[in-house]
Amino acid sequence: MTRSVLIVDDDPFIRRLIATTLEDVAGFDIHEAGDGIEAIEVARATDPAIVFLDIDMPRMNGIEACRELRAIADGTIVMLTAAGREAEAEARAAGADLFLTKPFSPLDLLQLVDSLSES
Amino acid sequence: MEADLVARLEEKERQLERYATDLRETFKAERKRAQELRASYMATVRALANAVEARDAYTGHHAERVAAYGLELARAAELPLARDQQTEFGFLLHDVGKVAVPDAILFKPAPLTDEERVLMEQHPIIGWEILRGIDFLGDAKLVVRHHHEHWDGTGYPDRLAGDEIPLAARVFAIADTLDALTTDRPYRPAGTFAAARAVIDAGAGTQFCPASVEALHRVSDERFEELRAGIAL
Repeated sequence: MTRSVLIVDDDPFIRRLIATTLEDVAGFDIHEAGDGIEAIEVARATDPAIVFLDIDMPRMNGIEACRELRAIADGTIVMLTAAGREAEAEARAAGADLFLTKPFSPLDLLQLVDSLSES
Repeated sequence: MEADLVARLEEKERQLERYATDLRETFKAERKRAQELRASYMATVRALANAVEARDAYTGHHAERVAAYGLELARAAELPLARDQQTEFGFLLHDVGKVAVPDAILFKPAPLTDEERVLMEQHPIIGWEILRGIDFLGDAKLVVRHHHEHWDGTGYPDRLAGDEIPLAARVFAIADTLDALTTDRPYRPAGTFAAARAVIDAGAGTQFCPASVEALHRVSDERFEELRAGIAL
């Protein structure tokens, strides 16, 4: 079964950038969501192996979404955090596994997915 | 609201800059790796060519000289293959198949018997077989296989004629003969470039590709002397 990746960010530009970077790399199906509520719906349907999760989003922010996702999905949750923001501890408490600081390096992104798909 | 919009635009801008920076660094690293790879290919090919030549004191540096002469001819003929590293690989490795020819035949000071000649004429095929699995050599393998073909179809191993003979092999055949005639051999001293040119001219249209012989006319003796001096160290 093909594993899937879920990209959650309210900015379609960032979602597109991550999706394009990961396309054809590790053989994942790529799904997107624009906020926390949508993320939970998509995660229920696709059981993602990796979730990229932005923090500042309308309707339900990334911290809340992380807590809810943790309850329904076993995949690795990667929080997308802005540099200099102190949300890491909170996100970790909510169940986040890894962090990717914005602006993120596409190479770091690829390496992260590579290491996760090997393990 | 407007401040938020500006902040979002700035975020996109920073993200794009990060992508551009990574792309540039990746490109630089990739270019460096490609250069290193080319250098190690060349070192590998030279080592292999030198190993073949180590057996034969008389032909010392023959491969490097014919490679230099052949590339000079290719440049004189304005052939794109002059800039292809595979051409040089083929020139350097042309006689690699001689590793399988016994000393008694390779260094025989008298004419070969028919049986010995058949064995000797296997060397382009053996060379081609040895190199067959090495992808990076590409068309170099064609030079190895066809460098003894003659324009009129009387050469070996495949008796190809005219345009059937790969262009690099046609150019190479002239460089090979030029060097053979201008270096000392056990049975005769080295001849002059002028004498070698006369022999090659006489073979245009029979042994040699006429257009490649034309290219030879465009390179001076001094230039060949210069190339030879650059190698005989």
